[in-house]
Amino acid sequence: MKNKKPVLLIIYTTLFFLYIFVPIILIFIFAWNSGEGYSFPLEGFTWRWFTELFSDQLARKAIGNSAVIAVSSATISTVLAVFLSIGLLKGLARRPGVFLVLLILPVLMPSLTIGISALVFFRTINIPLGIPIVILSHVSISMSYVFLILMGRIEELPLNLQEASVDLGASWFASVRDIVIPFLIPAAVAGWLFAFMISWNDFIITYFLVGSNLTLPVYIFSQLRFGLSPKVNVISVLITLFTLSMIAILLLSRKIYGKILMKVKT
Amino acid sequence: MSIVRSKNRNLIYPGLLWFFVFFLLPLSVILIYALTTRTLFSGEPVKFTFENFIVIFQKKHYLTILLRSLKISFLTTVFSIIFSYPVAFFLAKRTRFDKVLIVVLMIPFWINYLIRTFAWKLILSENGVLNQFLLWIRVIDEPLRILYSQTSVLLGLIYTFTPMMVLPLYASLLRIDDSLIEASLDLGASRARSFFDVTFKLSLTGIFAGTLLVFIPALGSFAIPAILGGTDSVMIGNIIENQFSKVGDWNFGSAFTITLAVLSIALVLLYSKIFGLESIYKNRGTL
Repeated sequence: MKNKKPVLLIIYTTLFFLYIFVPIILIFIFAWNSGEGYSFPLEGFTWRWFTELFSDQLARKAIGNSAVIAVSSATISTVLAVFLSIGLLKGLARRPGVFLVLLILPVLMPSLTIGISALVFFRTINIPLGIPIVILSHVSISMSYVFLILMGRIEELPLNLQEASVDLGASWFASVRDIVIPFLIPAAVAGWLFAFMISWNDFIITYFLVGSNLTLPVYIFSQLRFGLSPKVNVISVLITLFTLSMIAILLLSRKIYGKILMKVKT
Repeated sequence: MSIVRSKNRNLIYPGLLWFFVFFLLPLSVILIYALTTRTLFSGEPVKFTFENFIVIFQKKHYLTILLRSLKISFLTTVFSIIFSYPVAFFLAKRTRFDKVLIVVLMIPFWINYLIRTFAWKLILSENGVLNQFLLWIRVIDEPLRILYSQTSVLLGLIYTFTPMMVLPLYASLLRIDDSLIEASLDLGASRARSFFDVTFKLSLTGIFAGTLLVFIPALGSFAIPAILGGTDSVMIGNIIENQFSKVGDWNFGSAFTITLAVLSIALVLLYSKIFGLESIYKNRGTL
């Protein structure tokens, strides 16, 4: 069945990948094009848009805010989700219940709903909008995503080992710290990166909750409305490079962690 | 339950508390707003009413937008299934490089969708790449006006959400045992029959999981129609955004938000009814 080459499928898949990547390649090209407009033929090569972006105070501020929000919300949500999964996973494996439905809601509900309800909620109880509120709301969603990723380790949770260690005199705290958490670390790292990316990319929730502050997606949105500055392309190039390096780190960390595990086992 | 396990169990409380306070509570607050009139928190007695919802379903303006949003999201889902099925099939059944290709496919997914939408603006605008190309190969004499229409919104949504369809489809196709397909062929089924009766039916879980991941965000989108759309392509998200950032009618805006939430929850419940909830967890794709 597999010996015949699926020519049509290969052609189609190639076209599909082109479809997915052509817009991104275009953005890259125009980041280095010296003309103001976006038309072919290209006018010349320039770093001008890079220098203009770096001297743009607002953009730098936006990047800083985005980083603060993404790092804090990813960290909080990973910690909460690790706790949640230690407490829930073994029981859930046997009978997935109402918890699963509830915990998956933030993933499956439009972010617009989450953003609006947070906006109304915090304004009603008179808490001013701003970066802390954005972090809180990002945690509410990304916690569910990280939990979802941790579910992948569900079968491997070494509860028997943990019980054995406690029987042998370890404290409960030590048993969690030394036995359960290490098992969850690869999934937790993946979860953290995922949560980071969700927060970093989120526009809808942030847009409603950030108040007068700027984050990168909000900055990009405002730029899009004013007209098309090639500075936006430079941002895309930088984000792509950043994303690629994050993916590389993720893959590398999995590989290194796998090697360490192999060494421990042998 | 052993002492260790009951101590483990206590670890769920911080997360659960967070979930209730910062997710469920705000949702209930907008539900209250949606069911009351403007007098809420002004000191006057609160009156419960379905007025806000009635307006949505009775005023032609709002009903049109609601139906249009459902139509656009439905079309987005259908096209994303059609576009991604052959790719997911190829990745799952016909190549050894599937893992690498999936990672490659995830790259644009991580680039902010605003930027990807912006790229479509470059492609579709009147002197954009597509028109220049078509003029250059002399397919058309005058530039097409695609930007700021329902078509361009649809194109943007399909482009943005199709990768989300590939992953669950790929995961469900990967799980299909090849011997089932071979058995059906051995028993005399034609290739087409074997595909529709075995492969396609077994991949339905993936299609539905992907539908959740595409339809729901498409229905709730407001940035893509705001960037690529015109007056004929206003969606629910734009109405809601307008209510909160300009009009300031929180009660009506909340009612629209709740409508959006109910539509998506209904879809999720339908899914869990048909396929069971565990399959959402199993169809997460590669991550």
